[in-house]
Amino acid sequence: MSFWQTIGRIYESSVFVYGTVLLFIYAMLAVFSMIAVRAYARKDKLGQGHMLNSSPLAPGITVLAPAYNEGLTIIYNVRSLLTLNYPKYEIIIINDGSTDNSLEQLITEFNLVQVDFAYNVKIKTQPVRKIFKSTNPAYAQLMIIDKVNGKSKADAVNAGINAASYNYFVCTDVDCILDKNTLLELIKPVMQEGTKRVIATGATLRIANSCEFDQGVMTRMRPPRQLLPRFQEVEYIRAFVLGKMGWSLLNCVPNVSGGLGLFDKEVAIRSGGYDHSSFGEDMELMTRMCRYAHDNKINYAIRYIPKTLCWTEAPESVKIFNRQRTRWARGLAQLMFSHFGMFLNPRYGKMGLIIFPYNFFFELLAPLVEVTGIIYYIIMICLGQINWPTAVMLLVFVYTYSVMITTIAILWDQLTFRYYRTWKEVAYLCMTPFMEFFLYHPLIVLFSLRGYYYFLTGKKSTWGNMQRRGFRQNVPGAKTAAV
Amino acid sequence: MNVLPVFFTSVLYNLRYAPLIIQIACVFIFIAVTCTIIAYLSILIGRYKGHRHEKKLAKLHPLIDQLLLENVLMNEALTQENTEEIPLAADAFHQPVFRKRWARQALIDRLIHYRNNVSGIMGEQLRNLYIQLELDKESLKKMKSRKWDKKVQAMAELTSMNMSIADVTILPLTNSRNRELRAAARHAYIKLSKNEPFKFFDLATEPLLLWDQVELFRIISTTEKIAIPNFAQWITYSSNKSIISFCLKLVVHYNQISAVPAVEKLLDTRDHYLRADAINCLGKMQIAEVEDKLIRMYNSQPLNCQIEILKLLGRVSSGKHVDFLRQEFLHSTDFELRKNAAKSLINNQWAAQNLITELVDTATAENKRILKHCMNPLIKF
Repeated sequence: MSFWQTIGRIYESSVFVYGTVLLFIYAMLAVFSMIAVRAYARKDKLGQGHMLNSSPLAPGITVLAPAYNEGLTIIYNVRSLLTLNYPKYEIIIINDGSTDNSLEQLITEFNLVQVDFAYNVKIKTQPVRKIFKSTNPAYAQLMIIDKVNGKSKADAVNAGINAASYNYFVCTDVDCILDKNTLLELIKPVMQEGTKRVIATGATLRIANSCEFDQGVMTRMRPPRQLLPRFQEVEYIRAFVLGKMGWSLLNCVPNVSGGLGLFDKEVAIRSGGYDHSSFGEDMELMTRMCRYAHDNKINYAIRYIPKTLCWTEAPESVKIFNRQRTRWARGLAQLMFSHFGMFLNPRYGKMGLIIFPYNFFFELLAPLVEVTGIIYYIIMICLGQINWPTAVMLLVFVYTYSVMITTIAILWDQLTFRYYRTWKEVAYLCMTPFMEFFLYHPLIVLFSLRGYYYFLTGKKSTWGNMQRRGFRQNVPGAKTAAV
Repeated sequence: MNVLPVFFTSVLYNLRYAPLIIQIACVFIFIAVTCTIIAYLSILIGRYKGHRHEKKLAKLHPLIDQLLLENVLMNEALTQENTEEIPLAADAFHQPVFRKRWARQALIDRLIHYRNNVSGIMGEQLRNLYIQLELDKESLKKMKSRKWDKKVQAMAELTSMNMSIADVTILPLTNSRNRELRAAARHAYIKLSKNEPFKFFDLATEPLLLWDQVELFRIISTTEKIAIPNFAQWITYSSNKSIISFCLKLVVHYNQISAVPAVEKLLDTRDHYLRADAINCLGKMQIAEVEDKLIRMYNSQPLNCQIEILKLLGRVSSGKHVDFLRQEFLHSTDFELRKNAAKSLINNQWAAQNLITELVDTATAENKRILKHCMNPLIKF
C-alpha cells in the first residue's frame, strides 16, 4: 500500500467515524428533544402560566433592545414591547448613535424628556450621552439611552445592562417582535428550578417575513413565501426545537440566541458583559457566564423552551444572508480560539467535556470536513477510484437522514403547538427540507468558510446593517404594504 | 405485472451479496424514509384530530353556554331563594352528546370557567350542577390515575368546585417528588382543608419554589373564609428556609404585627439571604423599633443586608437616622449603597430638607446626579 493510499484510508476512516458520531448525536437529540418538548407541553397544558401576571411576587425584568438606524420600524417595535404582559418590567431602548431620525421619532411619539439618571458603569461602554424617560404615565416603564455608537450590538446592550434596575434582563433586537407573554414564559424556568441557579433562558425564534402584524403585534403567523427565508425558518425550527431542546434536557445548552434570551444580571455583569469585539457576542457571553459559574462553584442551569416567542426579519437576499452567516462563523471561530482552555477540560464539567468539543468538532470543523470531503471525492473520481454503488448509497443515506431529522423537528413543533393556520402552509414547510440539502446547505458551508478566512486574516468587519424592509401591517387598505 | 416483484427480488439478491457498508446504508435509508413518512402522517393526523376537536368544541360550547344561561345564570328564581331548595334543571343536560367523555370534559371546563367568573349563589348553583351531573366522579376517577398530569387536572377541578378531598389522599402528595403534582396538592390542600390548611408547612421537606410561592400566595390571599394562622410559628421553628421566606411575605401581606418578634429573632440567623428577607419584611411593615439594632449591626453585614437596612430606614422614615444616611451617602464606596442611602434620605425629607439642599449644593457631580435621580418622580428605581 502506497503512502497516499494509507493517507487516503486514514482520511476515509476518520470521516466515517466523524459522520457516524454526528449522525448518532442527531438521533440522540431527536429523542431527547421529544422528551423535553413533551414534558414542556404537559406542564404547559396545566395552564398555570399566567397567574404570575397579577402576582406581587413576580421578579422584575428589564427588557433591553439596542437599535441602530431602525427608524423604519422603531415606533411599531417599541409599541410591541409596551404590550408585553408582565406585572413588573421596564423597557430600555439603547439608541446606539443612530444617524437616522430614530431618536427624534421616539422623543415625539412617547413624550420623552431628558432625566438626570444615576448611570453606574459596571461594564465599560462607549459614553452615554443622554437618558430619557416619558412624561406620559402610560409609558412609565420606558427608558431610552442615547449613546455614542460602539460599532457593536454588544456595546449597546452593555450600556443597557448598566442602567437596568432589575435582577433579570431580557435581551432582544429592537426589530424582533415578541409574543405578549414572552416575559411570563421566560421567567418560569427560573422560578421553577429548585436546586440550580438558572443563569439564562431562551425560546424559539421564527421568521417574521410573511407574518402579519398590527401595531407591532403578530396577528397571523405564516412560513415565509420566499425560499431563502423559508430555509431559515426550517433551520430555526431544527436548531431550536430539536437542537436546543435536546441539549436543554442534558443541561448542555451551548447558546442562548441574541434575538431573545433572559439572563441573570449579576452573573452577566460579573462575567464582564457582552464582548464588543466578538462577532458572536451571544454565544461568547453564554460561554463566559458558564465559565464564571464553574469558577465560582455556582450550580447553574441554562433552560430552553420550545414555544415560539419571538419573530425576526430574516435576510431575503443572498448578499445580506452571506454577511450574516459570515459574521456568525467568524464569531464561532473567535469563541473557540479565545476559550480553547475549556476544551476537554474536566474543570468545566459538561461545558468543557460536551458543549465545547461538540461545537469544535461538529460546528466549527463541519464546513472544513465537508469541503475536504468534496475535494477528496473529486480527486477519487479523477483517479477512477470511486466505488459508485457505495458512494451513491452513502449519499442517498445522508440525504434521507438529513430530511428525516428536519422533518422530525417540524413534527415535534407541529404536534405540540400546531402553528400555522392552513394545511398549505404546513405542506410548504414540509417540502423545504428536500431542497435544503442541495440549495441552502452549500451556501452555509461557503459563508462559514468565508467567516473563518476573515477570522484568520483579521479582515475588518462591522456589526452589519440588516437593511430592514419592515413587517407586513394588518391595516385596512394596506394589508400587504411594507411599513 | 411481474415487474415490481422481479425488481425487488433483484435488489434483495444484490443487497445480500453487497459489502457490509452498503447493507448498513440500505437499512438506514429504509429507516430514514420510513421515519420521514411516519412523521408526515403524524403531522397530518395530529393536525386533523386537532382541527376536528376544535370544530366539535366550537359546536358544543354554544350549546353548553345556552343551557347554562337558561338554567342557571339567567334563572331568576335562583337569585332570591334558598338555593338548596330549588331543583336544578339538570335534566336539560342529559343529552346524548354529554355521554361522550370529551364532551363531559368540555362541560367541566366550562362550568369551572363560569364559576371562576361569578360568585355567591350562582357559583353555588354551578357547583350543585357539577355534583348532580356526577362530574365530580369524573374528577375523582382522574385522581386515581397513575399519570401525574391527570391527578393535577383532577385536583384543579375539585379545588375550583370546592369539593373536599380526604387528607389521607392529598397530604402524601404535598411531598411528592414530582414538582407539578406536589405544587397542585399543596394548593388544593390549602384551599380545601377545613381544619388546618397550613399543616403541610410542618411536613414540607421539599423546598417551596418561587413558582409555587406565587400560586400559594394567590390562593391564600384570595380564598374566602380561610383561617390565617400566626406565621411566627414557622418563622421560629421551621427548618425549611423556603417556608420561612414565604411566611415572611405572608406576614407583610397580612401586616401580622404579632409575628414581628419572631421576625426580629431572624436578624441573628447565620443565613444572610434569610436575614435580608427578614429586614425587608420589617421595613415593609415599618417597624421603627429595630432601627437602632440594625444600625449597630450594619457594618458587619454583607451587601444585600446593608441595602435592605438602608431601604428600611427610608420606609420607616422616622427621621432619627438622617446623619447615618448622610454618612453612608457621602462616604460609601459602593454605588448601590450610596444610591439607596440617597433614596432613604429623600424618603426622610420631612426631617432632612436642609441637609438635602446642602448636599445638592456641595456634593460631587456623581453624588449630585444620584440625588437628582432619587428626587425625580419619573424614575422609580
